[in-house]
Amino acid sequence: MSVKIALAGNPNSGKTTLFNALTGSNQFVGNWPGVTVEKKEGKLKGHKEVVITDLPGIYSLSPYTLEEVVARNYLIQERPDAILNIVDGTNLERNLYLTTQLLELGIPMVIAVNMMDVVNKNGDSIQIKQLAEKLGCPILEISALKATGIKEAAQAALQAATQVSACKVHNFSTQVEEALSAITNRLPQEINENQKRFYAIKLFERDEKILQGNMSAAAFEDIIAKVEKELDDDSESIITNERYIYIGEMIKGCYKKHSKGNLSTSDRIDRIVTNRWLALPIFALVMFLVYYVSVTTIGSYATEWANEGVFGEGWELFGATIPGIPVVVGDFLASINCADWLQGLILDGIIGGVGAVLGFVPQMLVLFIFLAFLEACGYMARVAFIMDRIFRRFGLSGKSFIPMLIGSGCSVPGIMASRTIESDRDRKMTIITTSFIPCGAKLPVIALIAGALFGGASWVAPSAYFLGIIAVIISGIILKKTKMFVGDAVPFVMELPAYHMPTVSNVLRSMWERGWSFIKKAGTIILLSAIFIWFTSNFGFVDGSFGMVEDLSDGFLATIGNAVAWIFAPLGWGNWKTAVATIMGLVAKENVVNTFGVLFGFAEVAEDGSEIWDTLAASFTQVSAYSFLVFNLLCAPCFAAIGAIKREMNNTKWTWFAIGYQTIFAYAVSFCVYQIGAVITGELVFGIGTVIAILVVIGFLFLLLRSNTKAPNSKVSVSIPG
Amino acid sequence: MPLTLAGAGVPQIIKHIGGKDELQRFLASLGFIAGSQVTVISEYNGNVIVNVKESRVAISKSMACRIIV
Repeated sequence: MSVKIALAGNPNSGKTTLFNALTGSNQFVGNWPGVTVEKKEGKLKGHKEVVITDLPGIYSLSPYTLEEVVARNYLIQERPDAILNIVDGTNLERNLYLTTQLLELGIPMVIAVNMMDVVNKNGDSIQIKQLAEKLGCPILEISALKATGIKEAAQAALQAATQVSACKVHNFSTQVEEALSAITNRLPQEINENQKRFYAIKLFERDEKILQGNMSAAAFEDIIAKVEKELDDDSESIITNERYIYIGEMIKGCYKKHSKGNLSTSDRIDRIVTNRWLALPIFALVMFLVYYVSVTTIGSYATEWANEGVFGEGWELFGATIPGIPVVVGDFLASINCADWLQGLILDGIIGGVGAVLGFVPQMLVLFIFLAFLEACGYMARVAFIMDRIFRRFGLSGKSFIPMLIGSGCSVPGIMASRTIESDRDRKMTIITTSFIPCGAKLPVIALIAGALFGGASWVAPSAYFLGIIAVIISGIILKKTKMFVGDAVPFVMELPAYHMPTVSNVLRSMWERGWSFIKKAGTIILLSAIFIWFTSNFGFVDGSFGMVEDLSDGFLATIGNAVAWIFAPLGWGNWKTAVATIMGLVAKENVVNTFGVLFGFAEVAEDGSEIWDTLAASFTQVSAYSFLVFNLLCAPCFAAIGAIKREMNNTKWTWFAIGYQTIFAYAVSFCVYQIGAVITGELVFGIGTVIAILVVIGFLFLLLRSNTKAPNSKVSVSIPG
Repeated sequence: MPLTLAGAGVPQIIKHIGGKDELQRFLASLGFIAGSQVTVISEYNGNVIVNVKESRVAISKSMACRIIV
């Protein structure tokens, strides 16, 4: 028989750290509320029959955002055998607010007070024994980070799971208790005896979301209204206030705080990074550095070595020349008299294509280290706060920025992170715009264009990032002015975690996991794509007979590419190779590089390092290359991200709207970039294209500047509670 | 006065919280209820970061205006 133990607690209280320690999994631990948006299961180390569930963090059992709904539904509907409630010891009072509610669920519970090391360091003290007596529930001290006390906590939870809930539940004031028992008496029979109190309290609070079947708060209106009149407050506030009063009294004797008034280190850092003048420049500098360092400096040395050494001619190690993979494999294949076509497939197709992608892994790893550090130190939440002021003007809340920052690693978790956004409208808009921010897989595309066409100019990579942000902002304004999205963004309220130095292992683990998933992708999807591209480009009908073609432009792929290339001609890159690369990019964005690798024969021309990219460069100008980059960054994301959009939208129509909007937007922007840019550089003369581009720009300006559509019910609620 | 005008560093007691029910409920779960003590740590164009019950919470201007201290 399996035992289910759920980890529940406030956001950022250390649930995932504990989950990793208990189950030996490798979930990433970030430092902002809402890292975990989906529940995760794992088996307790050494106990195969025990399933531990890591729930998204919640502040109360009245969910405010989507991921909180996930947690509440699990606790109420699937009823774990025991709850291990993680309480952040540095924030005892607020955390106990949830604890009192969890106790009402009637599920056996054990409390683990986390971050006791920090509590002790601050000179504060918590009398665990006394607190446990008052709460009537076993309490243990743990430090999830240092893995102390966690075995005991798991053991206690296991023991609790075998018992019927023994935790006592605190009492509200007499009037409220009378009302609650009156409601309990009228509850339908089918409700479990243990859960009756929970439902009674929720009904008393008029919680609309809890109501199932024929239960409705309206049926109890007489009871509720009577108490509200007696206590001169609304039922919800009565419960909330009584809870806090109860907690306040409970911790009076068992919690001592040492220092007061002194600014903590986090407060001091916040004074600087959220300063009204410095906040934005600091953020811009941070992002510039991240992209500059990972694409242009450290990352580029490593990538050069990988591209020109490992996947090229060879490299020098302590004076000895180590031949590159293509050379070794080529020699080997020649020595065994391998068939020409197979040599071509392996060298030009597989090594040329997959190698071109793998060559960028070092750059990605550097980027991932930076992102993991930013996520784990606590700066992310501040960026949301800083960006709120700007995003609000464009109809988005600062919360939309977190999915975008995560999206700079990979759009899929980025799109999933949109669940922390309360308003459905804001969430949809965030889902549509998140993939504008270049993800890790787009990095090779950026690096390739920056290296091959712009001589590694330092502005290209950061410009791609800022282009993404501008695309988000412009889309925000345009979409907000349509009927679908009109209305003010929901006020921004978000807990800011304390800053802390991320552990090296957490950062490296995150880097490795993301990096490894790219390497795995290169070995599967990218490999298959490379084989597909090689075959379809090398075979075709010549003079009416099927066979291998001398010139790639006679192959199947060229025929297909040529059939669609006209679509991209107005963007400045209407040849079949670039068209095919863009389409293959839908499978995975690295495929753009992969396709170029196969079609331009990177493996073959790798005689001299600088020549590798020359053939590619010859088919572009700087303006058309930038237009190509813009289109590939902004257009519909890869299939995996489209899948994530579909899941989060949960609606086919919205999914198509998102993809359609992204692609049309990308086309319009690249069109303007090329048509206007090329006239400026003298590549094109002023003509019909320029006129259309100017009209498109005017169209954009119209969409941006037109007055707001009036919402049918755009009243600002300033209701005053009774 | 609204929280936006409270000035940094001075502890204040919340007198009243307005706004939508859902948001009030969420604020309550974060520790914002009438009678609790809050201190503004920093202010950024009307958006504020406040200390409440040992935690730091960022609140945008539109909401901060409806918290009366």
